Amino acid sequence: MGHGEKGRPSKKPKFSSSKDDLPFDDDDTYFADAAAAEDDLRDGDKEAKKRDFSKLELKPDHDNRPLWACADGRIFLETFSSLYKQAYDFLIAIAEPVCRPESMHEYSLTPHSLYAAVSVGLETETIVAVLNKLSKTKLPKEMVDFIYASTANYGKVKLVLKKNRYFIESPFPEVLKTLLKDEVIGRSRIRSENQHGNDGFMISKAMGEIETSHDELLNGAELAVAAEEKEAHSFEIDPSQVENVKQRCLPNALNYPMLEEYDFRNDTVNPDLNMELKPCAQPRPYQEKSLSKMFGNGRARSGIIVLPCGAGKSLVGVSAACRIKKSCLCLATNAVSVDQWAFQFRLWSTIQEEQICRFTSDSKERFQGNAGVVVTTYNMVAFGGKRSEESEKIIEEIRNREWGLLLMDEVHVVPAHMFRKVISLTKSHCKLGLTATLVREDERITDLNFLIGPKLYEANWLDLVKGGFIANVQCAEVWCPMTKEFFAEYLKKENSKKKQALYVMNPNKFRACEFLIRFHEQQRGDKIIVFADNLFALTEYAMKLRKPMIYGATSHAERTKILQAFKTSREVNTIFLSKVGDNSIDIPEANVIIQISSHAGSRRQEAQRLGRILRAKGKLQDRMAGGKEEYNAFFYSLVSTDTQEMYYSTKRQQFLIDQGYSFKVITSLPPPDSGADLSYHRLDEQLALLAKVLNAGDDQVGLEQLEEDADDITLHKARRSAGSMSAMSGASGMVYMEYSTGRNKQGLAKSKPKDPSKRHYLFKKRFG
Amino acid sequence: MVNATKGLFISCDIPMGQFIINMNASLPASQKFIIHVLDPTHLFVQPHVGEMIRSAMSEFRDQNSYEKPA
Repeated sequence: MGHGEKGRPSKKPKFSSSKDDLPFDDDDTYFADAAAAEDDLRDGDKEAKKRDFSKLELKPDHDNRPLWACADGRIFLETFSSLYKQAYDFLIAIAEPVCRPESMHEYSLTPHSLYAAVSVGLETETIVAVLNKLSKTKLPKEMVDFIYASTANYGKVKLVLKKNRYFIESPFPEVLKTLLKDEVIGRSRIRSENQHGNDGFMISKAMGEIETSHDELLNGAELAVAAEEKEAHSFEIDPSQVENVKQRCLPNALNYPMLEEYDFRNDTVNPDLNMELKPCAQPRPYQEKSLSKMFGNGRARSGIIVLPCGAGKSLVGVSAACRIKKSCLCLATNAVSVDQWAFQFRLWSTIQEEQICRFTSDSKERFQGNAGVVVTTYNMVAFGGKRSEESEKIIEEIRNREWGLLLMDEVHVVPAHMFRKVISLTKSHCKLGLTATLVREDERITDLNFLIGPKLYEANWLDLVKGGFIANVQCAEVWCPMTKEFFAEYLKKENSKKKQALYVMNPNKFRACEFLIRFHEQQRGDKIIVFADNLFALTEYAMKLRKPMIYGATSHAERTKILQAFKTSREVNTIFLSKVGDNSIDIPEANVIIQISSHAGSRRQEAQRLGRILRAKGKLQDRMAGGKEEYNAFFYSLVSTDTQEMYYSTKRQQFLIDQGYSFKVITSLPPPDSGADLSYHRLDEQLALLAKVLNAGDDQVGLEQLEEDADDITLHKARRSAGSMSAMSGASGMVYMEYSTGRNKQGLAKSKPKDPSKRHYLFKKRFG
Repeated sequence: MVNATKGLFISCDIPMGQFIINMNASLPASQKFIIHVLDPTHLFVQPHVGEMIRSAMSEFRDQNSYEKPA
């Protein structure tokens, strides 16, 4: 069964019933399909040989157990089992989810996932015991060995900040001795006067783990062991050497990765911040669970919490800050989300107005008193250049302060080097990263494990959908055939740089987009976001359809105005966003997304965009399984067939498919009878559009060059691109047309200075 | 006077028709294979080029389709 559920991505082609509508002739699709089928067969054979688990011994009562554990570290979970909930909680703690469709989940054990497991307090024996209990088969020896090998050193050493002194703590004195033999660590040790014990380690009683749900699965004897109080040995190290010591402990050196914990209740040096969660803020079950992973033993652990967009990440962040009750530094990706975080803090907690402040290029506030919450962007903190005097003062304050909690939003977007800078600049006791999508195309995710901490919790999207916590989204891929003229240009070699512009501006795609906007605005009264990465396409579409748009160069004030209009006005039901809208712009009203162009094959972008509409709307009972509306949100991805876009589109969907989503393929949009109702019906209109695309400069039709969002630092970059506005309005196109005519070329040639000897004698005199 | 020419009759969708025309245009004059473009979805070509068109087309399609790495 090893490869059974790992079939091809679930695509259900939905062809319209009448045969004339088929976009392809039969013989055209024939050989492609045949070839693909052949490939499939061969792959299937190979996989079957590699993964033969028929030797695994089945336990007699396997029916009651939910897991299949395979020797290569993969684990399959039956979601229809009665033990699903408990098994899921356990698996998510120890293994990495690979693919989670409806009835069968695939997980894989990795060194990182086991590191995360150990860091939330699970012990090696517990992991093996519980896994053995849940597995249908006897645990393969390879897997047990792997777990022991991977967890042998993880979690044995903890870095604890107590009363602003750094301690290295471990229940195993022999491990500490090994560490001290290392030159770097030995030097950074601070010896205290009153030494206990033989080795000079301080010994303290650590609290046993607060009961976790996995304990239910253990029998009485094992429980007693887990709850017993443990002795912790520790020694103090020099605060200035913490970074070096941490580095020495990484797997590539001593291989004792340190866990960071913050004993905030016993921290008397840092002033308390008086804030509580308001009674109206009631964390949902999964939010509680993620917080309990973080505060499992009464201390705060550093780590990452992964929740889908719209599932209430900000409440988790605010709750964590309220539990720690110390100064909190909150980092967001752009100025808009800074405003939103500040708003969330005021909404959910009893924090005083003067204790919370925003630090962006537009608003430089300072909090009163000795503790507070500062919300700012990564850029503002990490920026290395010259700042204004005012922000220099604030940044100095941020650097000198000791923060109880460093709250980091959207950790997956920030480049690793910027993280290092932010983390080294700010002294924080505990770091909490929040994100929806822990995927990156450049595999930099592993850095986060050591920069912030292990993944503490990850929610299952489909379970949240079933519980009605996030919207149930119908995902669809709309196939738009290229028109003859556009495809002819697309194939030409000299247009290789304009390929993207050509398939995005495909008139059939435009018509499909227009049709969908009309349908959802008029028939359902929905609020629609249209995403386009390609600036040229964004402006063309928005101008033609007369809808507001936001892109990199749009000022903060104008953005707020457009978003406000979108939220409140009945007139504005559709907005066009470039990739600045991917992250963090909170638009709870929207429930339809139409994506007309995208950033190549980025799975993260796809998931983030879907996240814009995941916030649940309507009544809870309608949303639950079997409620009135099966789907209450729609995600359309418009794809021009026979182009590169098909490749990217399939790649982009992988992440969502792994989360259990399926994409429906629609081939009959717009309906054939829509005719002249929609734009670009006539050939001459299409040709005019084609000419416009071909005449646009290469720089205009490319992707929007805007990495970070606008604030103090990047605003200049954004301003530079504003120059192309005249080009967008068509003005520079006219100029270009004039120059390109033959007559003008001649004119240019004539104006060249002539050889004086060839001049006519009349003019010779004149120039003489 | 009527001339009979032996050839291959291809019917395809519009984009693939363009693909074949583009392929034909990129070849040197001696290797051009289209005898007549009947309409956007029907072409009349030299009898021996069927295989070549098929392989070129499947290569083009492979470039545009994504396989999940195992």
